[in-house]
Amino acid sequence: MGSLRSLNVRFDIPISRTREFWEALAHGRLVTTRCVECGSVTFPPQADCPKCMSGKSEWVEMDREAALVTCTRVDMAPTSFSAAGRYTVAIGETKTGLRVLAWLEGATPLDAKPGSKLRLEVRKGERGRPYYVFVLG
Amino acid sequence: MVVGTMGGWYEESLPAVVIGEYAGLGHVGTMRVEAACASGSAAVKAARSSILSGEAEVAMAVGIEKMTEVDTPTTVEMIGRAGSFLWEFENYGMTFPAYYAMFANAHMSRFGTTEEDLARVAVKAHRYAARNPLAQFQTEITLEKAMHSPVVAWPLKLYDACPITDGSATVILANEQVAKELTDTPIWVDAIGSASDTANLNRRSDYVGLQASVEAARQAYGISKVTPDQVDVATCHDCFTIAEVMAYEDLGFCKKGEGAKMVREGETEIGGRIPVNLDGGLKAKGHPVGATGVSMVVEITKQLRQEAGPRQAPITNGIGLAHNVGGTGHYAYVTVLSRS
Repeated sequence: MGSLRSLNVRFDIPISRTREFWEALAHGRLVTTRCVECGSVTFPPQADCPKCMSGKSEWVEMDREAALVTCTRVDMAPTSFSAAGRYTVAIGETKTGLRVLAWLEGATPLDAKPGSKLRLEVRKGERGRPYYVFVLG
Repeated sequence: MVVGTMGGWYEESLPAVVIGEYAGLGHVGTMRVEAACASGSAAVKAARSSILSGEAEVAMAVGIEKMTEVDTPTTVEMIGRAGSFLWEFENYGMTFPAYYAMFANAHMSRFGTTEEDLARVAVKAHRYAARNPLAQFQTEITLEKAMHSPVVAWPLKLYDACPITDGSATVILANEQVAKELTDTPIWVDAIGSASDTANLNRRSDYVGLQASVEAARQAYGISKVTPDQVDVATCHDCFTIAEVMAYEDLGFCKKGEGAKMVREGETEIGGRIPVNLDGGLKAKGHPVGATGVSMVVEITKQLRQEAGPRQAPITNGIGLAHNVGGTGHYAYVTVLSRS
C-alpha cells in the first residue's frame, strides 16, 4: 500500500570555520589550511588539525599543477546530476603531495592515464557557485 | 537485540523498536547500529560484545534493508552521498560505482587486471546464486553478457555491480554454556576484527586495496590464531567485482596484485583453494545493505554445518571467514567462525 505522505528536505552545509575557502574560490583562488603548530597541510581544509589536534590553522595557496592518480567516467548519474550528462572525475596529486578529487573537464579515462599532467582551474556553476576542476595540463 | 541497517529509504524511523514489539521482546533493550554496507557486521559485533562483557547471555543481531520504493537514480544518489558529502558529492556527483571504478582503474593500470577478469567474478557469482533458492538472481550468465552490459562508471558495467535489494537476516548468539544447551551444532565466533578509514577518498594511501580490510583481517587472524590458508570457505564483500578481487589480496588469500589470477584459475570456486561467495555474493544473492553482514554469518554457519546443499564447500579445518565492507572501505569487518 503506497503511503500518502512524502518528505522533501534540502540541507544547509555548515562551513563557518572554512568560509575563507569558498570566499577565495569565488575570487578564482584555491587555498587550504596549514596547521600553525605542526605544519600539516590538509585538503579538504579543516579548522582543527587531524595530526596534532591543534585548533590554530592558517590559509595557504594550493599548488595548481598535479598528476593523475586515478579517474572514472560516470555514465549512470544520480538524480540531482541527471542534467549533467556523462562526466569524468579524477583524483590528482600536487607536487607537494596534496590529493584533490574533482571533475576532469574535456577528457575521458581513455585520454588520461596515471601520471598524466593535470591543472586545477576554478569555474562558476549553478547559481554562480564556484567550484574547481582539473583540465589536462 | 541489535538491528543493523543504513535506513533512510524506508518508512520506519526506529526499526529496532518495531522489530522488538513484533517479536514480543518486551524490555530486553534494543538499538540500531549503522556502518553503511557493514551495518550487519556491526550488529553482530555489538551483540557479541554484550555477551563477552557478561551483560547478556543471549543476544540477537538482525540485519535489514527495504529499498524497493526508491528508483535507481535516487538510490545511486543516496548511496553516492555516503562519502564526504560537501567535497565529493555536492559539486562532483560521485556515485558508489564511480568510487569503485576509480579503484578498478588503478588496479588495472598497476597490475594488468582486465575488464574480462572482473566479468569472471560476476559469472562465478551468478553460477553459485543459481544454486541458492534465496538469491535475487538465480540464473547463470555468460562472460559475453557481462562484458556487453551497459557502462555504469567506466570501467565498471552493469554486471560488475550488485543490485538494489530488499532483505533481512538474523543470527542468535549465546555464551558458551547457553549455546551448548540450545544446540548440538554450535558455530563459534572466534574473532571479529574491525577497522575504518577516511571519509574523503583523496586522503587514502592508495587505490588498489582497502586499508580498513587489511587492518580488520590482521586483527581477526591475530585474535583467532587462524592463517588465511586454514580458511575452508569465505564470503567477501563484492559490492562490485573489483571489490572481490581486492578482498582476496587484502585478506591475504593471495599476494597484492594477484587477485585476478585467483579468479582466472578458479581458486575461489568449489574445488579451488578457498571457495568464496558460494551464496552468490552481493552481486547475485543481492545486497540489502544492512542485512548483508548478518547474511554472510548465516551463510558461513550453513557451510560449516555442511547444510549448504548444492553449493556446499568441502570443510576440512572447520574454519570460515566473513568479510564485510561499509562504504568504500570507510568501515571493514572480518569475522572468523569455527565449528567445534
